Amino acid sequence: MRGALAIDSRKLGRWALLTAATLAMLYILAPLISVTWLSFYEQEIPSFPPEGYSLRWYKLITGNARFVDGLLLSVQLGVSATAIGLFVGVPAALCLSRFRFPGRETLNNLLLLPLMVPGVVLGTALYVFHVEAEIATGGRFAILGSTLGLLSGHVLVVIPWVVRLVLASLAGFDRTLEEAAQNLGADRWTTFRRITLPGILPGVVAGAMFGFVASFGNLEMSLFLVGPGRTTLPIAILQYLEWKIDPSIAAVSVVQIVLIGTAMLVTDRFVKISRVV
Amino acid sequence: MATAATTAVSVEERGGSRLSAAALIGPATFIVAAGLLIPIVILFRYSLNKFVPRLMMVDALTIESYVKFFTDAFYLGVFFTTVKVAMICTIACLIMGFPLAYALARTRTRYKNILIMLVVLPLFVGNAVRAAGWMTLFGSKGMINAGLVGFGLVDVPVQMMFTEGAVIVGIIAVNLPFMVLTLQSVIESIDRAVEEAAFSLGADPWHMFWRVLWPLALPGIVAGIILTFILGMNAYATPVLLGGPEFKMMAPLVFGQMQLGNWPFGAAVSFILMTTTLVLTVIAGLSLHKRYRR
Repeated sequence: MRGALAIDSRKLGRWALLTAATLAMLYILAPLISVTWLSFYEQEIPSFPPEGYSLRWYKLITGNARFVDGLLLSVQLGVSATAIGLFVGVPAALCLSRFRFPGRETLNNLLLLPLMVPGVVLGTALYVFHVEAEIATGGRFAILGSTLGLLSGHVLVVIPWVVRLVLASLAGFDRTLEEAAQNLGADRWTTFRRITLPGILPGVVAGAMFGFVASFGNLEMSLFLVGPGRTTLPIAILQYLEWKIDPSIAAVSVVQIVLIGTAMLVTDRFVKISRVV
Repeated sequence: MATAATTAVSVEERGGSRLSAAALIGPATFIVAAGLLIPIVILFRYSLNKFVPRLMMVDALTIESYVKFFTDAFYLGVFFTTVKVAMICTIACLIMGFPLAYALARTRTRYKNILIMLVVLPLFVGNAVRAAGWMTLFGSKGMINAGLVGFGLVDVPVQMMFTEGAVIVGIIAVNLPFMVLTLQSVIESIDRAVEEAAFSLGADPWHMFWRVLWPLALPGIVAGIILTFILGMNAYATPVLLGGPEFKMMAPLVFGQMQLGNWPFGAAVSFILMTTTLVLTVIAGLSLHKRYRR
């Protein structure tokens, strides 16, 4: 009798758990579902239920220079920042995992710091930094609002992701393979290229993907750093939404959701996302 | 002789490796130190400058901006609203996030990876896009109001946009994935056998959760609370879009002040935001640790 009761309470608990979990999942996805729905509305005013459905808002995107330019700038920034981030981040992770030296922990924390500093603080700090840099160079170079200034900020955002994920995959890497290669006469660069890099590739790919997405989606910091008349895609979306919501901005949002979803699916083929986040 | 030669080689190698270590980590360290630490120091220096309306900023060493913030009812109101919203969102994220994190950690389906990706995707599409989704739902002719009016629950549409409630709902959705992912990884590291042990000793699910799971998951719970609290304090896009121009939180205040050209005050508010977040986080971490240390 008691046993039957105990099993019932476990069954009940399981049901309560699954219901709560499903509700939380729906809550997380609700805004994405509703914005996708809106992008297919026939009429411009976002009143529910829609008068009909159409794809015309997607056709209109390519004609909107603000969003096309924003998308291009965001992609350019993301790709360049990720390339630079990998170029400096992978060696840094190698150093942190291979060498023991005083201050190693501090350096590790320093490289992860840009992830901890709130976006608005990062933005204000870089803004005043650029102001000071312009004063120091006598105003000969336009730094504030320049693409280079914006890019340097995005590199900062990428580095922690690369360092963190490459470090994680280095931790599971068997070092005796490298020693074997060197015993067989390979020099350091060959060893890195032929042995280490293939071994840590999942971490590098994950680092690149997360770095790119962090740069691509960055809003708060970029707000302070974009020059007049230029915007990244997230800023273009924010500024449009401050004015109004309609199916055309929803279509742009869906394009961004699809782009990022695809990037995640591609990365998942290299490294299981559930193991790196 | 042979020993001396080996020593000489190893010393040389150590010198060489020190050099290569520096070459490997140098560039990244330089970028972060020069690109982040120096700007933060300059930002702090700016916050001690004086703002003179027509001259913009005048070099000074004064805590005027900080005094202004903490003596003005408007700014204090913004401050307490921000702390309140961040706290409500953090508690809600913990309550809503735990069941989902537990289900994801213990599920045996082949679709686990897809389910995790569904949690991660919204996190990456950006806050503005997610705010757009809530705007679709919350509008006076939006989906929720259409449902309420359609079922005859209300006669006139309920004002949901530009309210504190809308901002809270939006921030919870933004922060929930972070909480879920943090909790999920810590629950996965807890051996399932301890749960079975509790059940076989006669515990019902509630007692198993409260007496076994909760204490074991505590490090992850603290980490999740800290992370979501920081994100809640610093939310920008959600309060701007769902709260409207009248609803003010700290991050939009910083941006507004910088845009107005009041750099010293903007810098000071930025610093107050960063320090408060850090201090409250440390207090939360310490008190939770103390309470559950056995």
